[in-house]
Amino acid sequence: MIISLLALPLTLIGMQQRIAERLTGRVSPDVAALVTQLGTAAAARGLPVDPMIQKAIEGSAKGIPSERVVTAVRLVAMQLDTAAAALREGGLVGDTLMIAAGEFAITAGLSANDITALARTKASASALTVGLRVAGTLAALGVPPAETIGLVSATLRSGQPAESLLLLPAHVQSEMAKGITPAQAAAGLERAAAAQARHGPPPNRGQPPPHPAPPPHPSPPPHP
Amino acid sequence: MSEHAFHPLVKQLLDGDITLADLPAELRAEGEEAVRLLAGVDRRPVELPAVSRRVMREIASRPARSAWRRVMQPREIRLRVRPWLLAPALAIAAALILWIGHAAPVTQASFVTVRFVLVAPEAREVSLAGTFNQWDAHATPLVRTSPNGVWTATLTLPAGQHQYAFVVDGARWVPDPGAPAVDDGFGRRNSVLTL
Amino acid sequence: MRSETGAADGDIVRAVLAGDHERYALLVERYRDRYARYAARMLGSPDAAEDAVQDAFVRAYDQLAQCKDPDKFVGWFFLILRNRCFAERRRSRTETSLEAADEVAATDRTEGGTETAERRRALQLALLELTPDQREVFVLKHVEGLSYGEIAERLSTSVPSLKMRMHRAYDKLREQLRDHT
Repeated sequence: MIISLLALPLTLIGMQQRIAERLTGRVSPDVAALVTQLGTAAAARGLPVDPMIQKAIEGSAKGIPSERVVTAVRLVAMQLDTAAAALREGGLVGDTLMIAAGEFAITAGLSANDITALARTKASASALTVGLRVAGTLAALGVPPAETIGLVSATLRSGQPAESLLLLPAHVQSEMAKGITPAQAAAGLERAAAAQARHGPPPNRGQPPPHPAPPPHPSPPPHP
Repeated sequence: MSEHAFHPLVKQLLDGDITLADLPAELRAEGEEAVRLLAGVDRRPVELPAVSRRVMREIASRPARSAWRRVMQPREIRLRVRPWLLAPALAIAAALILWIGHAAPVTQASFVTVRFVLVAPEAREVSLAGTFNQWDAHATPLVRTSPNGVWTATLTLPAGQHQYAFVVDGARWVPDPGAPAVDDGFGRRNSVLTL
Repeated sequence: MRSETGAADGDIVRAVLAGDHERYALLVERYRDRYARYAARMLGSPDAAEDAVQDAFVRAYDQLAQCKDPDKFVGWFFLILRNRCFAERRRSRTETSLEAADEVAATDRTEGGTETAERRRALQLALLELTPDQREVFVLKHVEGLSYGEIAERLSTSVPSLKMRMHRAYDKLREQLRDHT
C-alpha cells in the first residue's frame, strides 16, 4: 500500500495513519489505499472521516466488490461536503459531529435546503446535531421532508431538551401503528410542539419522574 | 526627569506617531539614538516544529476526559414486540419499538440499553452487525429465546447515531422491518437507531 | 478565525470537547509559531520559548472546558501562554547572556552584519532587565506589530496605562544600553 506522504502537514499524516489502521484487516488493500486517501483529503477539509470509514467497512463486510465500495465511500464524501455547505448556508460552520449528522439526514432523503432550514433555527450546536439525526430518522420512517423539517424545527424552537427530539420517531411510530400516516403523525406532533412553545409544557401525564442528575464533576483548580 | 529619560517627543518617535524629520534640531541626536535602539528589535520568525509532536504525545497519555463526560446509569428501553404477519417463504419478521422510558439528560457520553428482537423461526443462527461493532457478522450473535423463533440480543450503546442489520445464517442481510430504514448504498437497506 | 485548511477554531474546540482529541493538533499547528516569537522575546531564548509554548498548549487542552468562547480560542490561549511566560523564573544574567550569545552566533552564520547581531543581542539582554509587563508591551508593539488599541484589548487594559508602561520601558532600555554597550 503506497500512500504519498508528500506535502502533508504532520497532523494529517497522523490522521492518515489512524484511518489506515482502522481499515487494515477489514477491507481489501485497494479499498484501504483509496479510502485512506479520500479520508485524509476530507479531514483536511474539516470533514469527519468516521462515516467514510464505516461505509468502507460495511461494504466489505457485506461482500461487496471493491469498486462499488469505493463508489459508496465517494458518495458519502460528497454528502459530507453537501451537508457542510448546507450548514454554512444556514450561517453555521458545523463541527464534525454536526456534519456527520447532516450527512445522515441526506442519506435518509433530506435535501441541502432542508438542512439549511434546520440550521436557521439558531438552535445550539448539540441540539442541532440531535435535530439533524432525528430529522433523518423521521425521513427514514417515511415522514415527507416538509413535515419532517416542520416538526424538528418547531421542536428545536420550542426550547425543549434534547430527549424531546429523540422521542419524536417513537411517537410517530406509535401513531403509525394506529393507522395514521407518517405525514399526519408528524403534523400532529408539530402542532403540539408549537402549542407547548406558546403555553408551556403540559401537566405530567404519569411519566416516570426524571432521574436526579449526578453530582457535577469538580472542575480542576485554575492554574496561576 | 532623570538624565536617562527620553524627551517626550522622542517617545512619540519611538511609538511611531512622528518621524525623525518632525523632531526639532536639538533633539535630532537623541532621535537617532532612539532609532538605533529600535534597530535591535528582533522580528525574525521563530519556528518550533517539535512542539506539535510533543504536545500531542502528552495529550495522548491523558486518561479519557472525565471532567465533562458523565456516564449516566444505562437507561432501560422498554420494548413492545408486535409479531408481524409472517411471510412463510421469508419467515423473518420483527417489530422493534423503542420507548425511552426515563427522562434523563442526554449528553454525548450517555449510554442506552437496547434490546434487539427478530422473529425468525426458520433461521439456524442470527447475528447483529452495525456501526457499533464494525459490521462484523460474527461479533454479536442473537440468542433464540423462544421455540417460536424469537431471537434476542441486548446491548448497551453510546448515545448517537447507529445503523445496523441482522445477518441470518451468516449470509442473508436483513434490515429490521419495524425500524426506520435508509439506503445502504449497495442496493439494500440498513436500519437506523438514533439514541 | 479561519484558515484555508477549513475548520474554524470554535468548531475544532467543540469537536475536541466532544472527544475528538486528535483535532487539537490542528490548533497547535495553527498557532504554534505565531506565538513562538512572542515567547522567545519574552523569555530570551528559543529553548525557553519551546518549553513555554508546549506547556501552554498542554495546559490549554487540560482546561479546554473552561474556554468560555470557543470561537475566541486564540485570545484565551494567549493568556495562558502569557501566564506561563510571566511565571518563568527570573533567569540569571549570565545564563541569559550565554544563550543570547549562542543565538547570535547562529545568526552570524546565516545573515550578514555583525552590527545587527550585536544590536539584537544588546537589546534582548536589556529587555530582560525590564519588568515582565514592560517587556511585554514592548514586544507586542515592536516585535508583534500590534497597535496600542489592539494590545489594550488583548490585555484588558487601557491605552494610557500601556503608554505609561511603554515610556518607562523606553527609558530603562536607554539606561541599560548606555551602561552596558
